[in-house]
Amino acid sequence: MALLYSLLWRLLLVLVHINRALVSWFRARLRSWKGRLWERAVAALLLPVALAGFPDHQKKLIQNPNANANPVTENRTAGRRSRWLSDGRSFEKLPVHIGLLVAEEEPSYTDIANLVVWCMAVGISYVSVYDNQGIFRKNNSRLMEEIVRQQQDLLGADGSKYNVEFLSNGSDQHQHHVLSCRPTLKVLSPEDGKQSIVQAAQQLCRSVENKERSSKDISVSMLDTMLRESKNTPDPELVVKFGPVNSTLGFLPWHIRLTEFISLPSHRNVSYEDLLGALQRFGVCQQRLGQ
Amino acid sequence: MSWIREGELNLLEKISANILKAGPMPKHVAFIMDGNRRFARKKNMERQEGHMQGFNKLAETLRWCKHLNIQEVTVYAFSIENFKRTKNEVDGLMELARQKFEKLLEERDNLEKHGVCIRVLGDLNMLPLDLQQLIAKAVLTTKAHNNDVSEPLLSECLYSSNSPNPDLLIRTSGEVRLSDFLLWQTSHSCLVFQSVLWPEYSFWNLCDAILQYQLNHKSIQKARDVHREQQASQQLEADRASFCSFHINNMGKAKNTASNAGTRSSERLAGRHKPAAEPIKKKPAPKKAPKAKKAKAAENGNNKAEEPKAEATEAK
Repeated sequence: MALLYSLLWRLLLVLVHINRALVSWFRARLRSWKGRLWERAVAALLLPVALAGFPDHQKKLIQNPNANANPVTENRTAGRRSRWLSDGRSFEKLPVHIGLLVAEEEPSYTDIANLVVWCMAVGISYVSVYDNQGIFRKNNSRLMEEIVRQQQDLLGADGSKYNVEFLSNGSDQHQHHVLSCRPTLKVLSPEDGKQSIVQAAQQLCRSVENKERSSKDISVSMLDTMLRESKNTPDPELVVKFGPVNSTLGFLPWHIRLTEFISLPSHRNVSYEDLLGALQRFGVCQQRLGQ
Repeated sequence: MSWIREGELNLLEKISANILKAGPMPKHVAFIMDGNRRFARKKNMERQEGHMQGFNKLAETLRWCKHLNIQEVTVYAFSIENFKRTKNEVDGLMELARQKFEKLLEERDNLEKHGVCIRVLGDLNMLPLDLQQLIAKAVLTTKAHNNDVSEPLLSECLYSSNSPNPDLLIRTSGEVRLSDFLLWQTSHSCLVFQSVLWPEYSFWNLCDAILQYQLNHKSIQKARDVHREQQASQQLEADRASFCSFHINNMGKAKNTASNAGTRSSERLAGRHKPAAEPIKKKPAPKKAPKAKKAKAAENGNNKAEEPKAEATEAK
C-alpha cells in the first residue's frame, strides 16, 4: 500500500513537471509570435515617433552629419527610451527600489543586464541583484561590463544619461543619489543578509561595552539605522524572483518586511514585457500596513 | 599578580589612543614576549623574577589592548625548543604556569566580569600532567565567557528560539508579502502565496501548498546547505582567529544584556572547541621563533628569544 502511494506521488510530481514544461514552452512560442508582430509594428511607427518626439535630437543629426552613430540606430534607441519612460509613468505606482532575485543555477549575465537597464529606463532608482550563491558578487566586474554593453545597445550613445552607480557591499561611499537622480545598482549576496545583521549586533555590543551607548539604547530603529548606514537605500518595495524555487533564499531578511514578491519562471530570455507584467501587478498591490 | 589590570588610561594615553583609533585598527595582535632574562640580568634579579615581571607586563598589555579595542591577543608563551633550557629554568617556568593558572581559577569572577576567555594551543601533552589538568580547567572555566555574536546566537535570542525555523510559510488572500512576520526564520523556507481568502481556505488549498513545498524541497534543501556552508566557513574563520590565541573578549556592560545569550553561545560552541589537552594545530608564525632561538642559543647559550609565559604554555 505504501509503495502504491509512493508511486502515485512520484506520478503526481511528474505530471506537475510536465504541466510546467508545457506552460513554459507555450509561453515561449507565444512570445516569439508576438515578437515578430511587435517588431513590424514598431518599425512602421518608429520614424515618425522619433521625428515628433525628439526635435533637438534631429537637429543635432542635421548639424552633425558626421556623427558617429548611425541615424537609424539613434532613432530606434531614442524611441525605445521614450517608450520605456512613458511605460514607467503609466503605472499606478513604481517601486523606488526593485530587487532581482535569481533563484536559478548559472545566471545569464546578458539577461540580467537587460533587466537592469530596463528597470532604470522605466524610472526605477535603485536596482538590486541577488543570488544565494554570491555568484554576481564574485563576478561583479563581468556583470558591470555586460550592463554597460546593454546600456549602449539599448539606450544608445545617450545612455550615459542613466549613469549607473555600482555599489557593492563594503562601500563606504556616501551616496547622494537622491540629489543626483542617478539610478543605483547594488550587487547583493547572502553576506548582506543575516551576516550583516550579525555584524551590526556585534558592533552594538562593542559600543555598549565601550560605554559609547547603554544597552537600553539598543532599539529596532537603531539597528535599522545601522543596517542602512552602509547601504543608504530604501527597502525594496518589489522583489521579482526568477526561477522555480519558492523562497527568498536569504535575501535581505531585515529589509523585506513590506516587500512584494512577484515570481517569474526564469530570467533566461526574459523579455521587457515580462518585466512590465510584474510591474503592473505591483502597481495594483495595496498595502494596509496593519490597518 | 592578577590577570586583570583595572584602571583607565591617563589623559595623554587617552588622547593618543583616540588619535590612533581614528585610523584603521588591528583586530588581532600577536606578541612575541622576548627579553625576560636579559631584563633579569640587567636588574640583577633571578631569571625567574624576570619571567614574573614578564607576566605582569602581559597583564598590563592586555589592559591597553582593551582600551584600544583590540579584541584578540595572541602571545607566544613557550616553545618546544625551550625544553632544551636548564632543568631549573624549565621547572621554574612550569611552576610559574601552575601559579598563574591557579590564580586564574581563583579570579574566575573577575575574568567573567571582563569577559576574558582563554584558549591554549599547542601540544599540551608535553607539559606536566598536573599543569595540563590546570589548563584544561582554566580553559573550561573561561570558555563560558566567549560571547561572539553569531547567527546561531541571534537565532537563540529570538522569541522563536525553542522552535526550528518554519519549513513552509503560507499566506492567503493573494497578498505577496511577509508583513514583518518571521523574516529571520523564513529566510530559507518555502513561501507559498495563495489567493484564496483565509475563511474560505480548504483542505485542497493546503494540499496544494504542501505540494509546492514538495516540489521545492530539493532546491530549498540545496540552498540551505549552501547557506550552512557559508555560515560554517564564517564560523571557522572566527574560530580560527580565536582558537589560535588567548581570546580576550571585551564585554563589560554589554554582558548584562547578553550574558545569558553569551552562555548559550558558548555552550553551542563547546562542542566545537575541544578541551585544551588535545593537540591543536600550530600557527605558522611561532614556528619561526624556535629557529631564531636556536641560533641565539648557539651564540651564547642563554639568550633565548621568547618569554616563556607559563600561563599560556604553547608546547609544540
